[in-house]
Amino acid sequence: MNAPADPGPGVTATTEQLASGAGAAANGGKAAVAHRRGRLPPVFAVSTFVFAAAGVLGAPLAFGLCQVLLEDRLGLASGTANGLAVLAGASVAGVLGATGAALGRRLGFYEIALATLVLLAILLGPLRWAMPALRSTALTVTAWEAQGGLVLFLGLFLTALGSGTAAFAGSSFGYLLFGSGRLDASMSYELFVAKSHLRLEPRTLAALFLLVVTGIAPAILFAGVWSFLRDRRVRRAALRGEIAHRARMPATMLMTLISIGGVAMGVWALTVVLSVMSGFEGDLKAKILGTRAHGVVTKYGQNDFTEWRQIREQVVAVKGIAGAAPFLYAEGMVSAGQNLTGVVLEGIDPRLAGAVVDLPRTIQDGDLEFLSHPERIPVSRDEDRPGERGSEGRAAEVPPARVLPGIAIGRELSRILRVELGETVNVINPLGDLGPAGPQPKSRPFRVAAIFYTGMYEYDSKFAYLGLEEAQRFFGAGDSVTGLEVRVTNIDAARPILRRVLAALEGFPYRVKDWGEMNRNLFSALMMEKVVMAIILGFIVLVASFIIVATLIMQVLDKRREIAVLKSMGAGQPSVMKIFVAEGLVIGAVGTVFGILLGLGTCFLIDKVGIPLDPEVYYISNLPVRMDPVEFALVALLALVLSYLATLYPASKASRLEPVEGLRSE
Amino acid sequence: MDSSRTERGAESKGGQPLLSVRGLVKTYVMGSQAGGQPRRVEVLRGIDLDIAQGEIVALTGPSGSGKSTFLNVIGALDVPTAGEVLFEGEDVFDREEAGLAAFRNETVGFIFQSHHLLPEFTALDNAGMPALIRRVQRSEARRAALEMLELVGLAERVDHKPGELSGGEQQRVALARALCMHPRLLLADEPTGNLDPVTAEGIHRLLADLNARLGITMVIVTHNELLAEALPRRLRLGAGRLV
Repeated sequence: MNAPADPGPGVTATTEQLASGAGAAANGGKAAVAHRRGRLPPVFAVSTFVFAAAGVLGAPLAFGLCQVLLEDRLGLASGTANGLAVLAGASVAGVLGATGAALGRRLGFYEIALATLVLLAILLGPLRWAMPALRSTALTVTAWEAQGGLVLFLGLFLTALGSGTAAFAGSSFGYLLFGSGRLDASMSYELFVAKSHLRLEPRTLAALFLLVVTGIAPAILFAGVWSFLRDRRVRRAALRGEIAHRARMPATMLMTLISIGGVAMGVWALTVVLSVMSGFEGDLKAKILGTRAHGVVTKYGQNDFTEWRQIREQVVAVKGIAGAAPFLYAEGMVSAGQNLTGVVLEGIDPRLAGAVVDLPRTIQDGDLEFLSHPERIPVSRDEDRPGERGSEGRAAEVPPARVLPGIAIGRELSRILRVELGETVNVINPLGDLGPAGPQPKSRPFRVAAIFYTGMYEYDSKFAYLGLEEAQRFFGAGDSVTGLEVRVTNIDAARPILRRVLAALEGFPYRVKDWGEMNRNLFSALMMEKVVMAIILGFIVLVASFIIVATLIMQVLDKRREIAVLKSMGAGQPSVMKIFVAEGLVIGAVGTVFGILLGLGTCFLIDKVGIPLDPEVYYISNLPVRMDPVEFALVALLALVLSYLATLYPASKASRLEPVEGLRSE
Repeated sequence: MDSSRTERGAESKGGQPLLSVRGLVKTYVMGSQAGGQPRRVEVLRGIDLDIAQGEIVALTGPSGSGKSTFLNVIGALDVPTAGEVLFEGEDVFDREEAGLAAFRNETVGFIFQSHHLLPEFTALDNAGMPALIRRVQRSEARRAALEMLELVGLAERVDHKPGELSGGEQQRVALARALCMHPRLLLADEPTGNLDPVTAEGIHRLLADLNARLGITMVIVTHNELLAEALPRRLRLGAGRLV
């Protein structure tokens, strides 16, 4: 290796030595090489893996423990408990990932990937044997298992993926902060450099915002006209022999603007759709909660809830209860002429019901009070006395002996039966009297005392209300009621308040149910719909984050020389990484702000201007929206987290660029 | 790799040389993928060298003789295949990545053939960049940068961007940037390669002047034999060795 003076033979000699594996010089060189390699960081560090594995494996455990603790022990609402449990799991993975990264001064991608595979193996392997033992718990796993093998597999797979992602987000964060060997949270010059890469001026951003607001079509039209005018100007200048100066937008800047637009679109779509779905849900909830009570107190056993007056006093005394009223639940049929339909018949106390349900406020015709005072029901327009239409609405002078009890029916039911206020309907109790051949239906005429309209087709067509005493008599219930309907002060706390009621009544034989339990099917279907919608629209944001990846890769390729120069000036790897993470985060943040602004604006517009719906189909005249700050915040968080994750690959690529390589690429 | 060709520098002033290079070898292995024999390119084949504090050294040699690679290795931009680079007796490559970055930041100043200034920033911000990387306060970094720009004679042009400066001025800004952290060692890789003879002469005189006034040790790679002649110590690289 020393002997030849000219380069040619030297190279040949070395090649031969390499091939034969012999020669003192080559050996000496090898030893030195080994010495140098010792300074290079290992590709896989066991100590980092230990932390990564602890984080990734600990995350699902923390999630399960928190879920059991918060939902079962503390009785939090299912959504809140799940959210907090996810947060706890992600924190465990993130914090341990960050610790590993900070101590090992490495990103630890391979370590976390391996830990995630280990977790996946555990979840898909040993967990299956443990499933029977877990079935008694309220863990999400059991809910997944109940939905079949595919859901279980997907759920477990996504759990592992989520844990790994949280750990990687944490470890990259830890590396950015501690990668230089000490805490370095400063972004002073990195932001400075990132800003110069992005070149986002207020003017450009305003133009982009307008473009997103007005939609793509006007923008293309505008760009077309502008391009046409410019080309014409260039041609004229060329004809005159001038060289027209034509400002060009750098490709990286165009990519930056496109990715901001992408994030904005995703956030926009997500917030608007979620707000409209929340609007539907809220509307439905308001209608259900308006017509029906927030909860019921019932008693085990039949026809022996006679002490309801005393129980009512106890219930009303419980903190958080706004009112309670007795009701008798029965099913039967109503008929008028040839029209017959099955209905839910409820006996209520008109004086007390107002404190519990919105029924008195939904009356369109008549008055709920007429249930107690049937003699005041006005005589219908064309029954008996067709000539006396002027007397409508005035109390009819009917001899008390002929007075029929009143019934309140919904508007749809009144249409089905073709009856109006004051007309007579027959109510049939299918299990009326006990005859020689078993129960025989019993029928009795009632007069329509009130017609209500709640806006829920189901209620307007299937519910009818009787006076409580009349109903008890008709259904042979004596002085017993089915239960007490209650109204609570805060509907979101209905469950804990009703638990307090149950505690005040000392449990058995009484039981309670809140509105969520009474309408479980409906609300879980709505929830499911919303979750699926959020996932589908979340893909838009995911795609936008891929655009961020592409944009940053272009930036990194474009700035290779600059990265090398910064490194030659002493910028460390975490520091270079920060530059590109900052760029991606600025793109994500600007896009998110745009999207949130657009979402707010759109929701506001839908709310104020209104998009008309066919009220016969939807029972709502306008598209409902409800802007939930929590939803907006979650969407923004999702967009920012995805943007952050999108930056990691290009940024770590940039940080590992060899300075010599970058300087050479001219 | 023996020290028969070691060129001992002038007697070091403090007994220990500022920089000493021992058996430096840099080899690239290329084209090992496509089934063919991997080709080893030996860029540096064992260099031994001592540079004393305050010395100014010219490094010449034909293209491809390894001048830039040598400069990159002693400036810790590149990792040697074998051998040691001792800075004040400490092996530079014993440091980890963060330590190497700190070494490049605090101890070494680089200027390249192209100025490599960041185009979006003013001369002042460019010159202060190493201080910003060091997490010095913005105002403090500007003060240091201004001081250095005055030193290289550009005090009036601090608010201009590189595009608005002439080639010689750009190289002066690059020099101010390299001096910003008061480095012990200035490494210049053909700093005048892109400049006309008159401007090049000016830059060289500035370097010599700074060496005399501030006592910064300098290694200047140059093609320009005339300019090299003017420097007190000249080294010549040929085929990866000092000749």
